[in-house]
Amino acid sequence: MSASTSSGGASDPRVVGFVCDWAVATGGLTDAAGRLRAHPSVVLIRVPCSGFIRPSWLEDVLKAGAQGVFVVGCPYGDCLNREGNYLMRERIDQLQRRLQRRKIEPERLVMMAHGLHDGEAFLAEIGAMIELLRHLPVPAGAKPAAQPMRAAAAASPEEGGR
Amino acid sequence: MYRRTLTALQRWTLRLDVWINRVYPTDLNPLYYTGGLANLFLFILVLSGIFIFFYYVPSLSGAHESVTYLTERVPYGGLIRGIHRYAADAFIIAALLHLFRNWFTDRYLFSRDSPWISGMFMLLLGGLIGATGYVLVWDERGLVVLSTFAGMLRAIPGVGGNLAQVLLGGPGVSEGTLPRVLLLHVGPASALYVLLWWHYVRLRHPKVWPPATWVLVSLGVITLLAALVPAVSGTPAAPGLAPRTFWLDVFYLLPFWLAGYLPAVLVVAAVAILFAAGFVIPYLNREAPDAMGTRHAGVAQVIDGNCTGCELCYYDCPYDAIVMVPSPYPGLTRAAANRKLLAVVIDSRCVECGICIGACPFEALELPGFLESDVRRRVAEAVHA
Repeated sequence: MSASTSSGGASDPRVVGFVCDWAVATGGLTDAAGRLRAHPSVVLIRVPCSGFIRPSWLEDVLKAGAQGVFVVGCPYGDCLNREGNYLMRERIDQLQRRLQRRKIEPERLVMMAHGLHDGEAFLAEIGAMIELLRHLPVPAGAKPAAQPMRAAAAASPEEGGR
Repeated sequence: MYRRTLTALQRWTLRLDVWINRVYPTDLNPLYYTGGLANLFLFILVLSGIFIFFYYVPSLSGAHESVTYLTERVPYGGLIRGIHRYAADAFIIAALLHLFRNWFTDRYLFSRDSPWISGMFMLLLGGLIGATGYVLVWDERGLVVLSTFAGMLRAIPGVGGNLAQVLLGGPGVSEGTLPRVLLLHVGPASALYVLLWWHYVRLRHPKVWPPATWVLVSLGVITLLAALVPAVSGTPAAPGLAPRTFWLDVFYLLPFWLAGYLPAVLVVAAVAILFAAGFVIPYLNREAPDAMGTRHAGVAQVIDGNCTGCELCYYDCPYDAIVMVPSPYPGLTRAAANRKLLAVVIDSRCVECGICIGACPFEALELPGFLESDVRRRVAEAVHA
């Protein structure tokens, strides 16, 4: 199983992250292609504001084959554009409910809030997210309906520990 | 130089946030509510000021006596006077923190200059209100502040003498002086609310008040301070009195303290230069426009044929840059065929954040520098890399 491989393994879950250009500084954390050095399966895309993300894009990322997607905004209350991260948090809450109705684990979609110098907390949250994704069933192929529910229940203590 | 200094200041500002956010939940970080706190203190000032106004007598013989009466004989009068004093200090501290924080974190870019300009005017008026407030007490400090102020006005070349005469109501301190000073205290304070309208007019949901926790904490701290360290008057002002040393409020009376060491004309010039420099700040960007990358993606554009007039972007735009107009013709897509309204972006208000793009489920908005096709291409690269 891929869960036992060390970080950076080829079987790591593919994750795409949208990062607000005013939020956490990723210059020292990524390579030229936007891949995180600490977790090469995570690719970051910088956007003008977290509120710029259209929820349908996040769905498309999951449809295109990524196992997780996250959006990073500034700390709540400190959005440079005043409300972008609050709006995005609401949109992600809605999308998570929609995903759940379609039997897609809402844990695959994460909203984060980290300031310019919060690099450590940011990496820690990504590490936790990848660890969680490793324990989720691979989305490709048909699954019994009960499977995601059980996986979500098993994953919830870990989520609480974040 | 400017660029590097500002980058360093931004780094320290946000480092400080990281520390504060470890103590408080981010929603309660007091530095995120400096504007709301300043507005809260202004409100406290207005309420306590109205109370003090009922007792104040603006005459040379009655002013000091009426303030003493208020402090010593009126129930809770001393407390309310103290609240007025300390809320004024807290107001200027909050306003300055608000100024520096927004400066250091780049919150003046693009069309965000109108809050900045109105804020500079409010700062200038705030300083005037504070200085005249100290004159109104009409103790020896008040007299020194007033004569220094008149001296500074006289130092302005050309019109200075006339301005000083307008302030004093005659060639020197006369019975007409204190009513004028009172007007200069209350009038600009009312004008602050007009400027606040200008400060808020481009913001969709301005954070006018801090969270309830901070309202209560601020009220408590100010009341406690006013009770423990009461505001007191010095000896009554008398024109022939030899000046002695007394405590000067650093937040309001710094120019007056400087005037003790420098010629008045230099102090006036320094204040004028600082004020003028303040107006230039929003137009001095620390990054060249082409180096800003995704931060400068261009004014949002409505894709006319796709717009359904659903108003979602209009509700989400934090800067009121999108208005809905009656649709002059139907849209092209099926969803847009029966639209009644059409979204229009007002270029001069757009800050290029792209929040409307995220709000639009009909692909009817684009940032010219960061198109939806760019996002899709990058996502495809990312997933298949």
